[in-house]
Amino acid sequence: MNMPMTHPSTMEPAMTPAEEPILDLRRLSKTFGEVQALNGVDLAVQPGEFVTVVGPSGCGKSTLFNIVAGLEEPDAGSVLRFEGQSVHARQLLGQVSFMPQRDLLLAWRNVIDNAILPLEIEGANKAEARAEAQRMLPEFGLAGFADKYPHELSGGMRQRVALMRTFMFKRDLMLLDEPFGALDALTRTMMQRWLLDVWQKHKRTVLFITHDVDEAIFLGDKVLVMTARPGAIKLSRKVDLPRPRGADLVTSPEFISLKRELLDAIEEESMKTFGPASH
Amino acid sequence: MKRRSFLSTLGLAASTAMLAAPAVQAADLESVSLRLKWLPQAQFVGFYMAKAKGYYEDEGLDLAINPGGPNLLTENLVATGADTFGLSGGTDSVFAAIEKGLPITCIGISHQETPFVFVSKADGPVQEIADFKDASITTWFTGANYVLFGMLAANDIDRTDMNIQPQQVSVTPFVDGQVDVVTATRYNEYYTLMQRVGEENLKRFVPEDFGVSFPRDTLIVGNDFAAEHPELVQGFMRASVKGWLDAFADKEAAIDLIMKEAPTLERPHQEFMLDEVEKIMLAGAAAEQGLFTIDMDAVSSAHQILVDYDVLGGPIDLEAAFDSQFIDAIPSAERLPE
Amino acid sequence: MAGAQPVARRFGAVLPLLKGVVVLAAVLLAVELLVIAFDIRPYVLPRPSAVLEAILRTPAAYRDAMVRTGLETLLGFGAGALFGIWIGIAFSRLRFLRETIFPIFIVSQTIPVIAFGALVVMWFGNTILAKAVIVFYLTFFPVTVNALLGMRAVDEKQVQLLRSFGASDREIMRKLRFPTALPHIFVALRIASALGLAGAVVGEWFGDTTGLGVLLLQGMYAENMVAIWASILCSAVLGVAFFAAIGLAEKRIVFWGGESA
Repeated sequence: MNMPMTHPSTMEPAMTPAEEPILDLRRLSKTFGEVQALNGVDLAVQPGEFVTVVGPSGCGKSTLFNIVAGLEEPDAGSVLRFEGQSVHARQLLGQVSFMPQRDLLLAWRNVIDNAILPLEIEGANKAEARAEAQRMLPEFGLAGFADKYPHELSGGMRQRVALMRTFMFKRDLMLLDEPFGALDALTRTMMQRWLLDVWQKHKRTVLFITHDVDEAIFLGDKVLVMTARPGAIKLSRKVDLPRPRGADLVTSPEFISLKRELLDAIEEESMKTFGPASH
Repeated sequence: MKRRSFLSTLGLAASTAMLAAPAVQAADLESVSLRLKWLPQAQFVGFYMAKAKGYYEDEGLDLAINPGGPNLLTENLVATGADTFGLSGGTDSVFAAIEKGLPITCIGISHQETPFVFVSKADGPVQEIADFKDASITTWFTGANYVLFGMLAANDIDRTDMNIQPQQVSVTPFVDGQVDVVTATRYNEYYTLMQRVGEENLKRFVPEDFGVSFPRDTLIVGNDFAAEHPELVQGFMRASVKGWLDAFADKEAAIDLIMKEAPTLERPHQEFMLDEVEKIMLAGAAAEQGLFTIDMDAVSSAHQILVDYDVLGGPIDLEAAFDSQFIDAIPSAERLPE
Repeated sequence: MAGAQPVARRFGAVLPLLKGVVVLAAVLLAVELLVIAFDIRPYVLPRPSAVLEAILRTPAAYRDAMVRTGLETLLGFGAGALFGIWIGIAFSRLRFLRETIFPIFIVSQTIPVIAFGALVVMWFGNTILAKAVIVFYLTFFPVTVNALLGMRAVDEKQVQLLRSFGASDREIMRKLRFPTALPHIFVALRIASALGLAGAVVGEWFGDTTGLGVLLLQGMYAENMVAIWASILCSAVLGVAFFAAIGLAEKRIVFWGGESA
C-alpha cells in the first residue's frame, strides 16, 4: 500500500520546467449555497516544492485545502489534476497527507498510536508501524514521550505529534493548514526551522497555508497571495533565498523587500473586505 | 484470584438459578403449577405440606408452587394458561373474572368466613356498629369496602356522608389515633395491631356478626384443563386436602416448612397465622362438610352485595362459575380433622 | 519501577469502595444514636443495630437474596448495556432506523414497569430471565440515547482528518466515534445501574421466591419495619457495589477524562 516516493532526483527544490506538476488546479471554483468561496484558482505545485499560501482571513484558504484533501468537490468546470491525472476530489482521499489547523489528536491514544493512525487505517502491520514511529520520535523532538497521552503534552508537542502523523502518512503531497497558528511566537520560530530540517530530509512536496507573511517567506520556495473572497490567486512570487535558512534571514534586504511587496498585496485585499462598500 | 473466585461464584449462582426451574420430574408426571395469591406464608402452608409429603406426585402431578404478588391477578395467569391452578383473591375476584369472560372455574373455597375484620380501640369512640357513622374509617378499596358497605346497609346506616378513606399498607395511622376504625385480616394486620396496641385494647367487628359473609381464598382452574384432565383436578384437590389436614395435625412441622421457604418471616406471626387460618378454613359450612366446601348460600350472599352495589354489571351464572363436583367427590370425613 | 505504582494503583481502585463503606458505617452509627436520643419508636425507624441483627439471624436468606437480585441486575444490565450501545451505533449510522425505531423506543419507555411486569411474568414465568428482561427494559434506553448522543458529539474535523487518511465509515466508527462516545455511555451506565437494580427489585414483586424484592414485600406485608430496613440496607449495599464497579471501569477505560482533545 505504501507508494514508492517519486521525489525528484535533484536535491534542489528548483524544478525543471519539463516536469509535470504533482498538483495542478485550473479555474477551480467552489460555491456554498449563495456564497462563493473560491473563484477560478490557478495553482501548480511541482514535485518537491514547498509552496506557501497567504491571504486575508476568510479568503477560502481552508476550502481550497479541503478540496485538495478530497473532503469537498469543486464546482463543475473546475480542473483538478493530481500526478498528471484529471481526478475528482474524492479520489484524493487517502492520497494526500493532510494536517488541519488543530492537532486533532485522539485523546485515548498515546503519542505512538496517534502517529501511526494513518498507517493503521491503511492496513499496515501495527507492530512495524509502531517500530517505525519509535525510530522517528527523536527527529520530531518526542524522544521519551512515546507512551504519553495528548492531555500530558504541551501545545507545541501535540503539534509535533500531529506533524509526525502527517509525515508517517507517506504521500507525495502534504497539505499543512496553519499548523503553527496556535503556538506562541518563540515556539513557532523553533517549529518552523525544525519543519524545514525535516522537510529537507524527507523531500516531500508541501502546500502550506498561513496568515503570517514572515512564515510564508521563511518556509516557501514560492509564495502565493490569495484575493479576498471569492478566493483566487492574486500574486505568485518565487523566494530565491538560499537554503538552509537561518534566523538572520528575516533581516536580509531581499527578505524585507519581498515581505513589503506581499504585505501590500494582502493589505489591498484586506481593504476590500473591510472597505465601506462591503458592509 | 479474588476476582476469579467471585466470578465463579456468580457463574455457579447463575447456573443453579437456571437449573433450579426444571427440577427433576418423573416421566409419567404431569407438570402443573399452582399460583398463590401472595408470597409464601402460613396462609398457604397446606399446599407446601402436600408437596413436601409427595401427595401431588401420588396423584400424578408434578406441581410447582408459584408465589403471587401485589400486581398479579391469579385469575389472569390461570386463564392464559401460564398457571394451571390458582389460589385467587376470593369470591369477589372470581365474579369479576367470570364477568370479564375469563375461562376459569372455582373448584373450592378456602376461607369460609370473611377473613377481614374491622377494628376499633376498646377505649375509643367506636363501641358499636352505630358509632361507625361519625368515625373516621379506612378500608381497602379492593373488595373489603363492599363488606363494610354491606355491614352498614344491613344495620341501616346511611354511608353517604361518612368518612371512609382508602387504607394504605400501614396500620400506623390507627395506632397513632388518626383513624378510628381500621380494616385488618385476621391473620396478618390484626397480629400487627395486637403487637402494637395489645389485644385487650382492641375491639373487633366481625362481618358475619352483622349478617355479611365474604368467602375468600378461592381455588380456581382453567376450564380447558378441567375438561381435559378431570382426574388430575380431582387428584389436586385430594392431595391439597391431605396436605392441609397434615398441617393442622402437626403445626410445628408446618411452620418449620414455611420458615424454610421464607426464612426472614417471624415465626410467632406465622404460628398465629396458621391458627387463624385453621379457624376460618373450618368455619361455616366447612365445619360439617370439611375443607374447601363451596357454600353456595355464602357465595350468593356475597354475589348479591356486589350486584346491589353495581360492582357487577348484573348477576352472573353462579352455577357455572362454582363447581363443587371435585371437592364433593371427597367424602366429608376425609376433609375434616380427626 | 514495577514496585510502587501498581500498589498505589490497586489501592486507588479499592479506595472509592472503602470510602463508601466508611460513609455507610458512619451514617448507620449516626442513625443509631438519633433513634436512641430521640426515642424513636421501632415501627417508625428501627435501630440499625436491630436491622443488622435481623440480617445476621438469617444470613443465608439475605445472602441468597442479594446474589439472586444481583444476578438479575447483572444479566439484564449487561444485556441492556450491550444492546443499548449496539443499537446506538446502528442509529447513528442508519438514519431510517433512527427515524422509524427510535420513536417506538420512546413510547416503550413511557410504559411503567408495574404495568409491564405482569406481562413479563406471563411470557417468561417465574424465571430469572423475566427479571433480567425487566432490568434490560429499564437499562437499554438511557444507554442508547447517550451512545447516540456521544457518537454525534464527535468533532467533525476529526472525522474529516480520518477520511483524508482514507478511513471507511466503519473505521471512523471504531477508531473515533465509539471512543468519543464512551464517556457519555458511562454516564448512562451509572444511571442505568441504579434503575436496573430498582427494576430487579420491583420485578420480584411479580411472583418470585427469592430476592431482595421478595424480602421487602414480605416485610411490608407484615409491617415488619426491621425486615423492610434490612432489605433496603442490602439493596443499598448492592447498589453501591454496582455503582463503584462501574466507576472503576470508567476510570480505567475512559482514563483520558472524557473532555475532547
